[in-house]
Amino acid sequence: MEVALLFVAIIGLLLVGVPIAIALGFSSIMFLLVFSDTSLASIAQSFYQAMAGHYTLLAIPFFILASSFMSTGGVAQRIIRFAIAVVGHMRGGLAIAGVFACMLFAALSGSSPATVVAIGSIVIAAMRQVGYTKDFAAGVIANAGTLGILIPPSIVMVVYASSVEVSVGRMFLAGVIPGILAGLLLMAAIYVIARIRNMPKGEWAGWGEIFASFRDAIWGLMLIVIIMVGIYGIPGVTGAIFTPTEAAAVASIYAFIVATFVYRDMGPLAEKNNDGQKKSLLSKPQAIVTALWHRDTRDTLFDAGKLTITLMFIIANALILKHVLTDEQIPQQIANAMLSAGFGKIMFLIMVNVILLIGGQFMEPSGLIVIVAPLVFPIAIELGVDPIHLGIIMVVNMEIGMITPPVGLNLFVTSGVAGMPMMKVVRAALPFLAILFVFLILVTYVPWISTWLPTSLMGPELITN
Amino acid sequence: MSGPIHRRGFEETAIAVILGLMTAVTFINVVLRYGFNESLIWGLEVTLILFAWLVIFGISYGVRVTMHLGVDAITGMLSTRPRRMLAIFSAVICLAYAFLLMKGAWDYWAPYAGLYQTEGRWFPLGFDENTRDRAFYMTDQVPMPGFLKFLEDWINFGEEYDKLPRVIPYIILPIGVALFLFRIIQATIRILRGDADSLIVSHEMEDDVDAARVED
Amino acid sequence: GTAAIAACDDGEMVIKFSHVTNTDKHPKGIAANLLMERVNEEMNGTACMEVYPNSTLYNDDQVLEAMLQGDVQLAAPSLSKFETFTKVYRIFDLPFMFKNMDAVEAFQKSETGEEMKDAMQRRGLQGLAFWHNGLKQFSANKPLEMPGDAAGLKFRVQPSDVLVAQMEALEASPQPMAFSEVYGALQTGVVDGQENTWSNIYGQKFFEVQDGITETNHGLLDYMVVASVDWLDSLDEGVRDQFMTILDEVTEERNAAIAEVDAENRQAVLDAGGTIRELTPEQRQAWVDAMKPVWEQFEGDVGAENIAAAQEINAGM
Ligand code: NA
Ligand code: NA
Repeated sequence: MEVALLFVAIIGLLLVGVPIAIALGFSSIMFLLVFSDTSLASIAQSFYQAMAGHYTLLAIPFFILASSFMSTGGVAQRIIRFAIAVVGHMRGGLAIAGVFACMLFAALSGSSPATVVAIGSIVIAAMRQVGYTKDFAAGVIANAGTLGILIPPSIVMVVYASSVEVSVGRMFLAGVIPGILAGLLLMAAIYVIARIRNMPKGEWAGWGEIFASFRDAIWGLMLIVIIMVGIYGIPGVTGAIFTPTEAAAVASIYAFIVATFVYRDMGPLAEKNNDGQKKSLLSKPQAIVTALWHRDTRDTLFDAGKLTITLMFIIANALILKHVLTDEQIPQQIANAMLSAGFGKIMFLIMVNVILLIGGQFMEPSGLIVIVAPLVFPIAIELGVDPIHLGIIMVVNMEIGMITPPVGLNLFVTSGVAGMPMMKVVRAALPFLAILFVFLILVTYVPWISTWLPTSLMGPELITN
Repeated sequence: MSGPIHRRGFEETAIAVILGLMTAVTFINVVLRYGFNESLIWGLEVTLILFAWLVIFGISYGVRVTMHLGVDAITGMLSTRPRRMLAIFSAVICLAYAFLLMKGAWDYWAPYAGLYQTEGRWFPLGFDENTRDRAFYMTDQVPMPGFLKFLEDWINFGEEYDKLPRVIPYIILPIGVALFLFRIIQATIRILRGDADSLIVSHEMEDDVDAARVED
Repeated sequence: GTAAIAACDDGEMVIKFSHVTNTDKHPKGIAANLLMERVNEEMNGTACMEVYPNSTLYNDDQVLEAMLQGDVQLAAPSLSKFETFTKVYRIFDLPFMFKNMDAVEAFQKSETGEEMKDAMQRRGLQGLAFWHNGLKQFSANKPLEMPGDAAGLKFRVQPSDVLVAQMEALEASPQPMAFSEVYGALQTGVVDGQENTWSNIYGQKFFEVQDGITETNHGLLDYMVVASVDWLDSLDEGVRDQFMTILDEVTEERNAAIAEVDAENRQAVLDAGGTIRELTPEQRQAWVDAMKPVWEQFEGDVGAENIAAAQEINAGM
């Protein structure tokens, strides 16, 4: 019963405007001081170890950094050009291209808001120019942006894998088919709406433009190959080169090099010469060194650092809450209560969906996963639910949470990049939200969608605990 | 990326440098392993320490520039007066949190520095002279840099450290949390004076993120 | 499986035991649960034990800090986790120090072994019992028959100076890596090999993603059940004696079963299609010759007299 009090306190504090991290941490500390004999020093230990003791979470700052270099360094606009060349000529083509570009950027970036910022800031304006309504454009991008956490790499998957100790590599593979499926569903829906409402279509620019735009975007798209080959290797050619965490660091370095020395959209070579051309590395070889502390590099590092800090502050306090729950043996109590109530697999999965959908209204996704995953994981194992499947269900729930108020990161970001009030974005996103719901049901009841790829490439998931 | 002048202070630079170092050390270890069959055996541990430093140092900065996330759906609907009351209430909660975390941070770190923990469960009621010394406790793999040799005499009774003692990485806790507490006090004063109306990032102003901030 | 919940009554002393393995398959988890059942039955009304498995409360790096802080009462980390408290336990990590588990058992029960439990007293920890896991084997993504086969390969090892030196003696490259990452890293080839006991090799399914396991029995993976000196001092003598009696009996029972557990896990690897390579006496001698020089490096830490005591026991086996 005391636990109910704990959760009421958290939600109450959230609603009156206490920062999420502090609402979690303060409630947990009070609970601990009143109901247990654990010391305040152990809270400080949990806080420090949230970072230093969680090797997998280290992927978060690195994926954020890679994403920052990609957005600042002109990769996004090249991906959009390619997407428009491929699907822009269809009815509703620019919207469909926006979704396609979001899917491609999602394969480079681990976060949904980052995907919205990178793609949305360009595509929404472009859609307005050719005659789409602002609402339609914002709704499409807010939704397609959520693919950022479903298509690997994904920060939310990293957090899930870290919370329940499953392999990050497996989670990433599991997201591939659902990610593509969700993207296709969105595109199909847009196409149908576009036919009905007779929305604009673009010009078919020919194979030449597809080829040229692909060649221009290839340096950015190569990152997908580097991440996948690096993590999984090429059968018969090379083994894997790095762990998923290291992959994120390598991706950052690669993105930095592409942005600074290949696209030259940032850093010392971005300054134009007298002839209006960007400087070449040959004409300014010292750039190799000066790029390291160039203002653009430092600003990108700083922006990624800031995002890491806000995210990890929430996760660290969610981990303090998790510590308190574990200390009081709450997960076992809930598991026993649910199992003795005779819950079946279906009922359990519905419960998980409901808990996450409600939680997603208030909480930032990563923090929510840290809290909920350990509570439901033991039950899932007991009921024979595949942990990877459970992970994908959680991720899709988080996607929905991101485009529903009051806390919906994608809504905030979309309202920022589209220059629309929040509530207007909420309404704009609504029709597509229905598609995500259908998709959630699909993913929940067809485990195959999530488990087939990782199982066929890496064998069945082993549960060693 | 030309635009208004960015004036970066110490905190901004520190955040960028720590994240840069984390990335570099991890990348170098991949290159060493794949290319040269070598490894910096301490690389992983140092990166994790830097990760903790980045976040614990950074949270105070987060308060200073009001970047921590929260729910403003309810407070946003209220009129000025009740909103101000709730903002003050939130500030008090944040102060209490920072204060308790401060005591925890000190109590956790002090034994590693050969210092006394505080007595009392909620409030520090003086120092506990029976604190068991933990200054001997070293990191797993981080080498001991020569310039820290003086610590052996200062806190470890002259015994040699063959790895970096934990007092060093953990020192970010009391320092970072003290800074955090200080920034929360400043933010509370801002709210009381009416210079600010909340401790969380307001999403109506999200697009200001890109706008330049000129700070002193 | 889910851990049984010990609902502690008011007035009972709570003993929290935090460890990192499962509760029903791993030797440590089984022993911890047996200890919990017996304490809760026989000391009902006085004490109540709660087991926190699977690193849910603390991992091995954090648990000793938490113990010194008084936030947890019992733990059983592997012996290499005590590096910072005493270097004496490095003797258990030195390659080929013990002929077999009987020699380990005899050494730990000898006067030398008993004294080692007290080695951390001045740091605030008291060793209570040695718990066995077993002898370690090497595995890699290519056949390991002679020590030269390991040269140039990347091996995941626990971050301990002895184990790093041991891999360097084989001209292999020691790699630090979180335990939870090891299966994936072996499978995808980020690292080539690892060393572990039969129960871990089977439990973590490492054999699935390795060419084979070479039965080297080159090292030892054992645990030390520890408590803080301050906590032990705070107990009534009668309570402490009763608890220690139960712990000793549980230790005796589970350590005696370790040979059987090891054999079962070894067989399970075979049954699951894993490859096990046994060494000829000549091959084994080559591994000993390659790795034994490591002893010299750490003689100062573990004490020449302790090494001599261990070798004397080996000779009598
Ligand atoms: Na992604
Ligand atoms: Na939401």
